[in-house]
Amino acid sequence: MTAYVIRRLWQMIPTILGVILLVFFLFNWVGGDPAMVLAGKISNKDQIENIRRQLGVDQSYAYQLWVFVKQVFTFDFGRSWSTNEEVSHIILTRVGPTLTIMVPCLIIETSIAVGLAIMVAYVRGTLTDRMTMMICTVAMSISFLVYIIFFQWLFGFILGWFPVQGWSESFWKNLFYYAPLPIMLAIFVGLAPELRLYRSFILDEINQDYVRTARAKGVSERKVMMKHVLRNALIPILTNLGILLPGVFVGSFLLEVFFSIPGLGREIITAVNRSDFPVIKAVTVYLAILTMIINLGVDVLYKVVDPRVSFK
Amino acid sequence: MSFRAIETGFDPQRIDDRYSVGVCENLFEGLVTYDYLARPVKLVPLVAEAIPQPEEGGTRYTFRIKPGVLFADDPAFKGQKRELTAGDFEYSIKRFRDPKNRSPYGWLFENKIVGLDELAERAKKAGAFDYEAKVEGLEVRDRYTISFKLKGPDYNFLYVLAMPNVVPVAREVIEMYGADTHAHPVGTGPFILKEWVRASKIVLERNPNHRGYELDTRYADMSDEWDRRAVESIGRKRLPALDRVEIYPIESEQPRFLAFMNREHDILDETPFAFLQQVLGPDGKLLPRLAKQGIRVFREEQPEITYITFNTGPKAEGRDNPVGGYTPDRVALRRAMAMSYDVDSEIEIIRKGQALAAQTPVPPGVVGYDPTFHTDAQAHDVPRAKALLDMFGYVDRNGDGWREQPDGSPLTVELKYQANGEEYRQLAELWVKGLADIGIRSDSQAVIFSDLLKDKKVSNYMVAQSAWIADYPDAQNFLQLLYGPNTGESNEAEFRLPEYDRLYEKSLTFPDGPERNRIYREMDRLVLAYAPWRLGVHRIYNHLQYPWVLGYKKHPILYTNFKWLDIDVAAQKAAMK
Repeated sequence: MTAYVIRRLWQMIPTILGVILLVFFLFNWVGGDPAMVLAGKISNKDQIENIRRQLGVDQSYAYQLWVFVKQVFTFDFGRSWSTNEEVSHIILTRVGPTLTIMVPCLIIETSIAVGLAIMVAYVRGTLTDRMTMMICTVAMSISFLVYIIFFQWLFGFILGWFPVQGWSESFWKNLFYYAPLPIMLAIFVGLAPELRLYRSFILDEINQDYVRTARAKGVSERKVMMKHVLRNALIPILTNLGILLPGVFVGSFLLEVFFSIPGLGREIITAVNRSDFPVIKAVTVYLAILTMIINLGVDVLYKVVDPRVSFK
Repeated sequence: MSFRAIETGFDPQRIDDRYSVGVCENLFEGLVTYDYLARPVKLVPLVAEAIPQPEEGGTRYTFRIKPGVLFADDPAFKGQKRELTAGDFEYSIKRFRDPKNRSPYGWLFENKIVGLDELAERAKKAGAFDYEAKVEGLEVRDRYTISFKLKGPDYNFLYVLAMPNVVPVAREVIEMYGADTHAHPVGTGPFILKEWVRASKIVLERNPNHRGYELDTRYADMSDEWDRRAVESIGRKRLPALDRVEIYPIESEQPRFLAFMNREHDILDETPFAFLQQVLGPDGKLLPRLAKQGIRVFREEQPEITYITFNTGPKAEGRDNPVGGYTPDRVALRRAMAMSYDVDSEIEIIRKGQALAAQTPVPPGVVGYDPTFHTDAQAHDVPRAKALLDMFGYVDRNGDGWREQPDGSPLTVELKYQANGEEYRQLAELWVKGLADIGIRSDSQAVIFSDLLKDKKVSNYMVAQSAWIADYPDAQNFLQLLYGPNTGESNEAEFRLPEYDRLYEKSLTFPDGPERNRIYREMDRLVLAYAPWRLGVHRIYNHLQYPWVLGYKKHPILYTNFKWLDIDVAAQKAAMK
């Protein structure tokens, strides 16, 4: 397994280089000129050139690309062009609020989705199953934005159960006072597609021969579902979680914007609007690395969940 | 209260967004400022002892600073009280021209102070700004006296000095915090920055070193309910009365509105247009259910203008520009396009009645605005626009339903607008519809903000949406946008009309008065005649407050008013029960 992990780590290097190239060319071809934003309301060519020189965007593309590569491998992305704040500080301070929302959301959403998926899969074809699937389809058809606007208005303003928006310095206050409404929203929105997906994974397993054999041997239904079916359905569930996990670290920008959560998602949107390339670069590369590491972790977990899996 | 955009930081010489500047208004103090109640606005001394008279034909201004004005305490001062001196102003104004600072308001002091441009040039070549170098135009006569010598007469220079960016910072502080000066604003203002969670929360607390203010009631208009209430509630108080101010940047309209309605916030500045129907009735008055709660609405005509810029230069995006030039047919085309635009629909539908149609480039609330000036030069009039086009040979020659140019070549007018905003898209649709009504084929393209700025600077556009907010309350701040030599800087229309330029230069030699206003009117007429802009609107904002907010009045230039406010805590607590 060690050789496998080392090989996978090596394979990350060309992937990172690909990400660097993609981000670099996208920014230079599609992104706006940051000097124009920073120059203010009235500026002349000299001032714009001065800003471009200070930002280093007057250098050749090859040199700029080399600087980018160095930044990635030294983990030093310098300072934000817009606020002059250190990029590492931006990421470290914004990732906390994002995780405060997204980690509970992922845990609760996955637990509920898997639990419900087992239940509706077990009663497949019944009215309960069909009603659940119909509700899921309707729920998935409505835009996330509509949910946010409605939930915020209903639970924050009309019923007053939660604050409309806000964030504090205290982790516990954030978790139990400011975060519940955005978490509830994220779960509500994420649950329907997850439930449908996990139900299909479980249905695939329920129809397998080994389930029939277990039942024929007199194994209890509870044991069949929880030990045999769920364990085998865990591999596709884990794969799906692996896909979702990187998103946990960048958050939902809609939630963060609507609830004034100073998280990474909101920071990314601000950086894009301000053509703040150091922040965009750092977050993109950080996300790419994170995705690769999580994928590797999920692959390793396959072995834990199913000992028949072997690494080649 | 909330801000509707995220702040950048609080180094006054390095920012230009109104929200960061609005916070700086409370942390720093300039030589002069605006009286809180006087309308039209009036300059009053702040840390200066008096407003000086211009000397040497408007080219010299000498200030005496009040002794004993203290900076807020900071580790940079090593436990000592730090008094404000004339040298702090010299240092801070030099900072505007230090290339390292990339000051967005550097233009305020460009080609302005004798000797400063030369120092900035030397800094560019040397790679470092020499703050020790003497500048003839920044003459520190003694500890409390500074004299500014200008390159030419400028009767608006006092307005420049009243800008919340043109404030003193202490050199020790700037040098100690280096690249992190945005997070360490240390000024002589009535508040200090107590807490700052970027993009989330800004907390100000009363500056214990501050000498205190009193409300100057000399210019109060006691027939005005806002002035009367301010005088009655805070007139005899030592200010600032607030111990703590909490500001939350909230970009989305709904949470900003609901946070106020939920009483999480005491003030809602700039009520979002989308929620106006939940605040104002069809008569423009506060809805009874809100009035019953004691909520008040302050209606403010902003000193700003929106407009559509025509590129009057010969080239647009490297090609011949069909809307540029000063020949009668090109002027007629621009005027016809201006007449095709239905500004009343913009006001009623897009802006929900909260805007005034602009009559000239000069908005209300600034010196030089003439409320009696009305014109139909750009009034929405499709038959007139069509007749004008017909007269100058813009007719449909090939029967495809669209007009061609007088020489028979095709005519397509291209509009560029800012991509990130529903409002901009709606305005673009209205523009395209107006042109279609008069038979002009058009195209609209959404571009990101920075690209739009760049395109307008380098003639990479034909027609574009634009807006300008007053930096200082004088018509000159708006009329300079069409001054020929400002092409490539602020004159995005590339308007080069010798007659206009001559009048502009002449206006600079006069102080405020009837003679200068007469010149401004002539310039307005030239703008209407040659149509480098399709004038848009002056937006109206509605600011809401709960009744326990005392002393509220919105200033047209200053963004915040915390130092003049108080809270009736007992009333606030009672309402929360």
